[in-house]
This record gives sequence, C-alpha cells and structure tokens, in this order.
Amino acid sequence: MTAAAQAVSVLLEDRLITLNRAVGLIRRRNLPIQSLAVGPTATPGLSRLTIMMQSDTATAERAVQHLQKMIGVRAAMAFPTRDGVTRELALVKVRAPRERYGELLDVVQLYNAVLVDDSLDGLIVELSGTEAFVLSCIRALERFEVVEVARSGTIALGTANNLQSETTT
Amino acid sequence: MTETLTGSQILCRALLEEGVDVLFGYPGGAIMPFYHALPEFPGLRHVLVRHEQAAAHAADGYARASGRAGVCVATSGPGATNLVTGLATAHMDSTPVVAITGQVSRAMMGRDAFQETDIIGITQPITKHSRLIEDVEEIAEAVREAFYVAQEGRPGPVLLDIPKDVQNQKTEWNEGTRERGNPPTARPSIVPSFHRSALEEAARLIAEAQRPLIMAGHGVVLAGAYAELRVLAERTGIPVITTLLGISGFPESHPLHLGMPGMHGEVHVNRAIQQSDLILGLGLRFDDRVTGNLAGFARGAKLIHIELDPSEISKNVPAAIALVGDVRDVLCSLLPAVAPRNCESWRREIAGFVRPREESFRAGLSPQAILDAIDDATNGQCTIVSDVGQHQMWVAKLYRYQRPNSHITSGGLGTMGFAVPAAMGVALARPSEPVWAISGDGGFQMNMQEMATMVQERIPVKMAVFNNGYLGMVRQWQQFFHGKRYSATPIWSPDYVRLAGAYGITGHRVESAEQLDDAVRAAAAEPGPALVEFMIEQEANVFPMIPPGGSLSEPIEGAPLVSA
Repeated sequence: MTAAAQAVSVLLEDRLITLNRAVGLIRRRNLPIQSLAVGPTATPGLSRLTIMMQSDTATAERAVQHLQKMIGVRAAMAFPTRDGVTRELALVKVRAPRERYGELLDVVQLYNAVLVDDSLDGLIVELSGTEAFVLSCIRALERFEVVEVARSGTIALGTANNLQSETTT
Repeated sequence: MTETLTGSQILCRALLEEGVDVLFGYPGGAIMPFYHALPEFPGLRHVLVRHEQAAAHAADGYARASGRAGVCVATSGPGATNLVTGLATAHMDSTPVVAITGQVSRAMMGRDAFQETDIIGITQPITKHSRLIEDVEEIAEAVREAFYVAQEGRPGPVLLDIPKDVQNQKTEWNEGTRERGNPPTARPSIVPSFHRSALEEAARLIAEAQRPLIMAGHGVVLAGAYAELRVLAERTGIPVITTLLGISGFPESHPLHLGMPGMHGEVHVNRAIQQSDLILGLGLRFDDRVTGNLAGFARGAKLIHIELDPSEISKNVPAAIALVGDVRDVLCSLLPAVAPRNCESWRREIAGFVRPREESFRAGLSPQAILDAIDDATNGQCTIVSDVGQHQMWVAKLYRYQRPNSHITSGGLGTMGFAVPAAMGVALARPSEPVWAISGDGGFQMNMQEMATMVQERIPVKMAVFNNGYLGMVRQWQQFFHGKRYSATPIWSPDYVRLAGAYGITGHRVESAEQLDDAVRAAAAEPGPALVEFMIEQEANVFPMIPPGGSLSEPIEGAPLVSA
C-alpha cells in the first residue's frame, strides 16, 4: 500500500484529559501525523479532533481502532482526503514598503485572501483553503517580508460518512 | 434513608457494592482520610504490603486468579509512582486492576505541593482508563465506572486519583434512590462482530486444511473458554499450542497438547508452526517472543484470528478471517459449523519433529525434578506463580498443568519481582488451594520484603527460589551473544534459610536430588508460608532458543563454543 493523505476524524468529550489521552496515543503508537486541529462541534460537550497523516489505509484504520477503545472518545473514522473536504486557516503578518503595497494587494486578491489588520508592525492577511493552497499563498507572500505565520492545522469532513450521527444512538 | 457521609465512606461503600473483599495498600498523608474510614467497613480486608509495587502485583495476582478486579491503594507522590510497574504489568497482560491513589488537596494541585505528582499523566500509557475525582458527588459513579471499564471487554488497569479534601468532603447519601447498572460514560462491551459467512468460511478452512494448528493465548483463559477449546480440538484432532499466557488453558496431559511456541518453544512446536497451512489463533496477539522474525513466520499458513480486540487483528500477522469477539462466544458460534475430522498423518509428522535433548544438572537437581516434586507434594492441585527469567521458561515448559488457569506469570512486560507479591493475591483469591511462587535468586531479591506481609497477614504462600548465583537469562544471552562477558550478572544472595527464619518462616535448602522430596513436602505441609531454596546448576541454559530477530526455523540447541 502506498502512503496517501488520510484524515482521521475523532469526536471526543471536550475535556483536556481526553484530548491529552488521544494525543498521547498518537505519540505512543508512533503515527506519522502532519497536523492536529481541535474545536467544538454542533453537540454541546463534544469536540472534534482532526488528525492529518501521510500513511496507508491500514495505518489510519489502526489509529481509528485504538482511538475507539478510549474512554471519552465517542466515534472515530478515517478517510483519504480525496473522499472529503479539507480546509486550513492561516494568518500571515507581512511587511512591505509603501511602494510595493499594490503588488501585495494583488497577491492577496489572487488567493482570495483578506487583509484583516493594517498596523504599524505590518499587515495581517487571512487565508484559507487546502493545505497545498495555503502553502502556495504563503510562498507567494514570502516575496515580501513575512514576520509571523499562524496556521490552524487542517480540518476535514468526509463526504460519504457522517461521524456525528454515529454518536446520537 | 438519607445520611451524611464523607467521600472516604462513600468510596468504601462503593467498593463493597462492587464485591471487593480485599485491598492491597500502604497508607500515607494524602490517603489518610480513606484509611480513617476503613475500620468502619470490616468487609474490606486491608493487606498492608511492604512496598506499593507489591500492592499492584498482588492486586494483579488476585485478578488473574479470581477473574474479578483486584484493588490496590497508595498515597500520592512516591506511593503512587511505586504502583507504576505493577500497573504496566497488568496493562500488558490485560488484567483488571483498580488502583486508588490519594492526591494532594485540590487547592494545592499544580503547585508542586509536598508529595504531589501527576499520576494520571504518568500512568496514562499504562492504564486502560484513569480519572481524577474532582468532587465528592463523583465518587460512587467513578468507582462503578472504574470496575466496569477494568473488567469489560479486554480487561485492564484503571486508576482513580482522589484529592485528600475530596475524601473528606461531606454529602448527603441516599441509599435507596441510587441507580445501578453500567455507568453512562462507559462504552458498550464489544459484541461479536462478523458475518455468518465468515464463520462458514472458517469452518471450510478448518475442514480442508492439511496441517492445521490451534494457538491458544491469554484470551482463552480470560474468557474461560476451556471446554469450548477442548471440544474444538477433540472434534477436529487439531493439535493445540499454548502461548506463555495461554498455558493451563488446555490440559498438558492431553494427547493433542503440543507445547509452548516461540523464543524458547520446543523445536517440534516451532517446526509445526513453520510447516502449518492453517493457524487458528484464539485470543493471542502474536507477540514477537511468539513469532520470532515476522517475515519468516508461518509463511504457508492462513490465519483465522479469533480475538476480542479489533486493533489486534492483522497487527503483526495478517488474518485471512477475523472473528472479533470474546473467544468463548465466538467458539460457541463457530462450533456448530465445524465438522468432525482427524489430523492423524499431520500429528505423526509433528511427532517426527520431536528432538530428544540430553541435559545434565548438578547433583541431579534438574528443573524437571524440582517441578515434579512440587506437583507431587500438592497432588496436582497447585497454582504456580512464576517470576521472569530462566526458571520462568522451565516452569512454563516442564510443569504438567492440568487445571484451568493454574499458571500465572508476567508475560508481556516480563516483570522481575512479580511472583512473590502476585502469589499473595492468588493465595487470597484461592484460599483453599496451595500456591507456589517460583523465582530466581534475582527476582526473589526484588520483592522478598513481602515475606513480612505474608507473616503479618497469614498468607500461606510457598516460595521456591532457583538459586544459580547468576541473573541466569541475561547470563545466557551474554554467553551466546556477548562473547561470554558476564557483565553484572553474578549475583550474591543472603542465606535464604536464615533470612526466612528471621521473618519467622521455615526455610529449607536443597542441594541435591535426594533432599528434594522431603524439603518440598515439609514446605507444602507447613500451615503458613514456607521457603525452599534450590541450589541449581550455575550455568545451565534454556534450550532451545530462537536468537533475537531470528526466525522460528533457526533454533539454537546447544551452547555456542566461545573463544572470547
């Protein structure tokens, strides 16, 4: 089996200890993860943890089986990213001399990004998309002086399966 | 009726409701409110160990022998950290243990208070679940959850960390209106999940295989699937291999019993695996000590894997058919589809693989002779608890286990020092049966302080010490793979007979085969604990041996000639 981008989506109780346990398991089992993102869901008390990994299907499925055994995990599933939608949010603080502002705004527009702050220290650009898209935009911004980058890590939803409904039974 | 109770009193009541009758523990500052309440509950027998590690091993031994969760108690900080090895042992071997630790008061937590340690964090990878109890109202439910989680599905250790002020916190307790049943946060037990067609396909493979084998692991013992395994074997004539933790899951005297596989498995057992075309794996996880080099393991065999934990399926050995569920439940579903057959020619072939081995031991004091003497002196009614090392392999391979679950050892973690404290738990779970703790001189010295516990608590464990003056298994590896450089393996021992005497325990030293029966019989006849030291061959080796990383087809059957 060849490695491909896999998303492992986990619904868990929104308590630090549960998150700690889930992340500890990933470290312990030495899973090839690329990013982690966690946030609330539509169900009060439940968080969704999205783990992106570059692996074969069997490795992702094994991660799911281990996660499903944990107390506090309500449901987990894995899917190749081609079977779902993935998005990442990034904030990029850029500095550019006055005379290059027009050029910078062109890049922002090209990537459907938004200028969200314009302060003395630089401009903050907000952009979102797939990881590849976000990386490509950051590379484009590197033509200017990139001061700081904050990225959310990728979140994902499968198009075929619905994890949330599995927890309502 | 409503009454006002402290957290500690509620904890004791909740333990009684779970059927707990014995606790192994050690008091200290942060658990003192619990110990203050304990005398009000005479149904909870407390066994004061001499080191918290022993409390965890004893709880583990109790669980393995009784099938019910064993309980250990320790204070915060060093008390809690001393439990760690015992919890890791229970975790690796899937045994239900509930550990209760005191914690510093809530207001002190996170401030590096005296005897504060993050035991939840420390034990996270070695517990099935753990929970910090943050309010008295949680206690009853948390205890219920802990016992449920520890015992359901694939068992494992659960830790409850209870701050001192929560133990003292008071609340209204209403006996009548409290609900029972499974706690709401616990997940449902794993139900057998496989399609009818998978059962039929498995039955077809069983009918058609030329060289089938059954490999029985700890799952057979945990599920109590003894009768079902026996029916399966007898109906099909398929030979049965028992892993280290599967030993005593199938009677050793049975003509279909083959032996133990893996690193120290007999040549004919491993050869049968390598020649096999179908392996029925029952409740085992294909540990590296069982398989040797995975690439060379049973290359011609299909695997039907019957296993409770889905994450074990195809983890190490790919399964052709996976039947996920409790071994007993799955076998009950499978058996009606299994047609009678025999494996006569295959069994004759395996019989041809058997290699006789000549070994001589100093003064005739062979491991076989020692184990036979223990078997004779206890009329085959004994439970053997072994430690880790050379003696563990001899005890696994040479003792004739006839009764289910009569062999208890630390398999996955390989914890030296396990036998003596675990045997105390076994003895309390099986008060009417003889229990022998067999250790080497290394492992015995790791937890021999528990002789004091045995005397104070009148726990009649018989201790056998195989004394060869070496950390024998490490020495064997040094002899085979490290040019005979015996680095840090010669080990001095005290005079165990006099040491036992100092504890008020009768000790015997056996230096030759002639003294064997009398000493073992005398120890067995002793109403309380007793100790027998066996002065065995110093540089005996466990044969055969698959070298680490080697395949099951490459056994070492004699000591290499070393010129280092």
